[in-house]
Amino acid sequence: MARYKLTKEGEEYLKKGLPEKNLALILNEFPEKTATIGKIISRIKNFPVALKWALENGWVQKKADKIILLRPPVEIPEEKGLKDVFSGKTVDDSVLKVLVQRNLVEVISETYLKTQKEIEKSGGIEELTHDMMTTDLWKGKTFKKIDVTKVTKKFKKTSEGNLQSYRKVIEEVKEKLISLGFKEAKGPYVEMNFWNTDALFMPSDHPARGIHDMFSMKTPKYGKILNKQIWKNVGETHKNGWRTGSKGWGSWDEDLAKRLILRSQGTAVSARTLYNWKKIPYKMFIIDRVFRPEAIDAQHLSDFDQCEGIVVGKGLNMKHLLGYLETIAKTMGAKKVRFKPSYFPFTEGSVELQVYYNELGWVEAGGSGIFRPEVTKPLGVNVPVLAWGLGIGRLAMLKLRLTDIRYLYSDNLQWLRSKR
Amino acid sequence: MTTITYSKNDLLNLIGKKLTDEQLKEAIDQIKPGVEKISDTEITVEHYADRPDLFGIEGLARAVRQYLGIQKNEKFEVKDYKLTVDAEKVEVRPFIACAVVKNIKFNDDLIKSLMNIQEVLHETFGRKRMRVAIGVHDYDHIVPPIKYVAASPADRIVPLERQEEMSLKDVLINVEKGIDYGHIIKKSDKWPAFVDQKGIFSFPPIINSDRTKLTENTKNLFIDMTGTNEKIVLQTMNILVTNLAERGAKIESVKIDYDKKNIVTPNLSTEKIVIDLKDANEWVGVDLSAEKMISVLQKMGYEAKKEKNKFTVFIPPYRTDILHSVDIFEDIAIGIGYMNLKPEIPNLPTKGGRDEEEIFSNKVREAAAKLGMQEVVTGIMTSEKDQFERMNLKRTEIAEIENPVSVDFTIMRHWILPNLLKILSVNQHVSYPQQIFEVGDIVVLDRNAETQTRNVRKISAAISNSKAGFQYIASIFDALMKNLKIKYKLKETDHPSFIAGRCAALIFKNKEIGFIGEIRPEVLENWKMEMPVASFEIFLETLGKK
Repeated sequence: MARYKLTKEGEEYLKKGLPEKNLALILNEFPEKTATIGKIISRIKNFPVALKWALENGWVQKKADKIILLRPPVEIPEEKGLKDVFSGKTVDDSVLKVLVQRNLVEVISETYLKTQKEIEKSGGIEELTHDMMTTDLWKGKTFKKIDVTKVTKKFKKTSEGNLQSYRKVIEEVKEKLISLGFKEAKGPYVEMNFWNTDALFMPSDHPARGIHDMFSMKTPKYGKILNKQIWKNVGETHKNGWRTGSKGWGSWDEDLAKRLILRSQGTAVSARTLYNWKKIPYKMFIIDRVFRPEAIDAQHLSDFDQCEGIVVGKGLNMKHLLGYLETIAKTMGAKKVRFKPSYFPFTEGSVELQVYYNELGWVEAGGSGIFRPEVTKPLGVNVPVLAWGLGIGRLAMLKLRLTDIRYLYSDNLQWLRSKR
Repeated sequence: MTTITYSKNDLLNLIGKKLTDEQLKEAIDQIKPGVEKISDTEITVEHYADRPDLFGIEGLARAVRQYLGIQKNEKFEVKDYKLTVDAEKVEVRPFIACAVVKNIKFNDDLIKSLMNIQEVLHETFGRKRMRVAIGVHDYDHIVPPIKYVAASPADRIVPLERQEEMSLKDVLINVEKGIDYGHIIKKSDKWPAFVDQKGIFSFPPIINSDRTKLTENTKNLFIDMTGTNEKIVLQTMNILVTNLAERGAKIESVKIDYDKKNIVTPNLSTEKIVIDLKDANEWVGVDLSAEKMISVLQKMGYEAKKEKNKFTVFIPPYRTDILHSVDIFEDIAIGIGYMNLKPEIPNLPTKGGRDEEEIFSNKVREAAAKLGMQEVVTGIMTSEKDQFERMNLKRTEIAEIENPVSVDFTIMRHWILPNLLKILSVNQHVSYPQQIFEVGDIVVLDRNAETQTRNVRKISAAISNSKAGFQYIASIFDALMKNLKIKYKLKETDHPSFIAGRCAALIFKNKEIGFIGEIRPEVLENWKMEMPVASFEIFLETLGKK
């Protein structure tokens, strides 16, 4: 004889009651035991199912969009049936037929029974399988103990591996920058406002420091001042220009500078590097994540990679800045470049780099400039610093022929595998 | 970036020369803003925050005129003050500037321009009226003397476009602008107001009175500026009145009589900055003569005087962005034209190289891919639900974001495995076995660190198949370690995400550096997965330092 068990839906109804019964109970609360569908539809899960069976049982009547309770249910054989199947008692055939038809109860398969027997015999589950997951067979059972201190199985390759396509592009770009003499730097994701903005001479009330442009931390909230002198230099530069030859902003909010945020620009790492790397000349780059409170769509992510670099050395000028921009762009495959004035709070001689692609025409590819003395001098650097940033995401999208930036961090396994 | 659309006709009239669309775009692009599009009647320009003087159509036209050498730079005339404004101490908005502007020729272009510039300056430079707010009135409907007072919320005004008088408090409750901007002054119980003999005619930063509103008969203006930063208030006034002067209006100053000091506004005298010819040439990378340098500066709107090897450069009163001589240097480079500067690579040999940790990370990545695993890259920001709840873990202290934009991104990941399970859970229709890994940073709290947190490099791997047992994942891990020539030990351990008795700690040099095991079916159920998963996750930090 076949044995039966509850399906997932059956289990749920056992716990929460049959939907048609719930419908009747709710209608019972209404004056004249009548309600419009609109009023009750959101209160009942599986409303169409509930209505169908309540009508079939003759409990309710439907008039236009109104449902009227005719008689409250007294005895519900299906509910008793669910209970009996669960506890292994025999159930009346006609009830069983309805429950199977409603997909609340199913026949226990031969393999299920076999596996269950095996588990009981061997004192626990040997190995979790797909079948056990779909039939919930694992529930209420223990797993057999195994020795986890030794690797007994020999490795056998079962599928083809692959590096992620955007990471591959990033690694190529890194190699190229290294060949141009750039050294890789790193910095923390949770950053102090100080390095992300103040050291870059962005005034305390700069609009890009607002809650719509930067993530602030709830925990931990404030960072620790490690070098008081540098803080003083930067603070004075904001207030009155310090020894930089600048007028300064006239004020500085030191508490705000201590606030922890998620770094919103790779330039935070450039500021850290200027302070940390003492041996001049050098060239530095970083490709890593930055975070901005953007609404996510095909063009925007709130967590994405940026590529930035600096060149630090005596006698550097605007022509050199353009020279590096051109070289970097051409190394990355651009055929033609052009330059346009631009603005960044931390550079003067700010340049927008545009590159030409046959498919797209002129495209904005990056930004750059010479760091302001208000940025370099307080950090102890007294030579010009050329700074540039490259739209690495856009470059990768071009290479990978993507129109949606989200594919750079794709969770689509089929697509990832196809990019070998 | 601020995008503004102008009437092309008005712009060309103000420039005073017929230019083709190409010429107009080229000139504006090379000055700094970017032209987004030009139609028969309109031109849309993207502006940068450092040049609010170009936001107004008159200022933009002036810059083009100067750049193309259409007209010589002229000095702005300001007639001496006849009007004095007595300024009380108003704590929430202590700084003001006023001006009288006469001989206004009212037409559609001027009205449009005035409305545009007020709105844009309020939004950007004025930080949504917080830092500066502008009020423009019909001067002939004001009966001096004018006073700037700390008014009480019960004082009354007839606000713009209303007939009935109401209290300032009611303005904040019932009038749209009051609802929008009331928060700026609410913290105080004394609110800023300009009054004349007839009562309050301006309630900054909220609204003007209906009595002094501009009409087509307006000939003379009274302008009030109020704010929290004196320098910005004065600069905003300069931008506005010099724009009006471009249309032939006559500016008269106003004396502001504060409690302890007097100032006269607007002050259109030019500030000076002294620069060195050699410094400027070196910074740009050119070798211009003194005469050539002066003509370049003129093109950018500056007058300059040579004194031996130095220059005195006169900064126009509307240029609010000049803090340092490098700001002048940039304008010299722009005046020459970026495209006229020949790109050069200096002789600056430096040795490039990778970060140590990245070198080791790449070794691990390549080895993992060779063993048949697909690399993935996932987000650093994630949710408590993914990191803890679904993984059967108790919430611990973790780096948490104060202003998340979505419930899915509220914390920084403290392990990678949940992200991998998420990927497996959305790919259940894709062929098995599925074997994925990620090498990346997590964020851990660290009281000793400057940022109270640290990035820590890890690798996490997850394999999923109809059978994904301990020995299966262990064989992959073992092969990975052999490939990297790393010796390790396994020790039985418990982890809430893994099946009891099916999880081991990975020991390297007597330190636990991670774990390996079979994922609990309860966890799989939380991810709505039906395929078993086994996984390992380890710190690469210690492993890399052999």
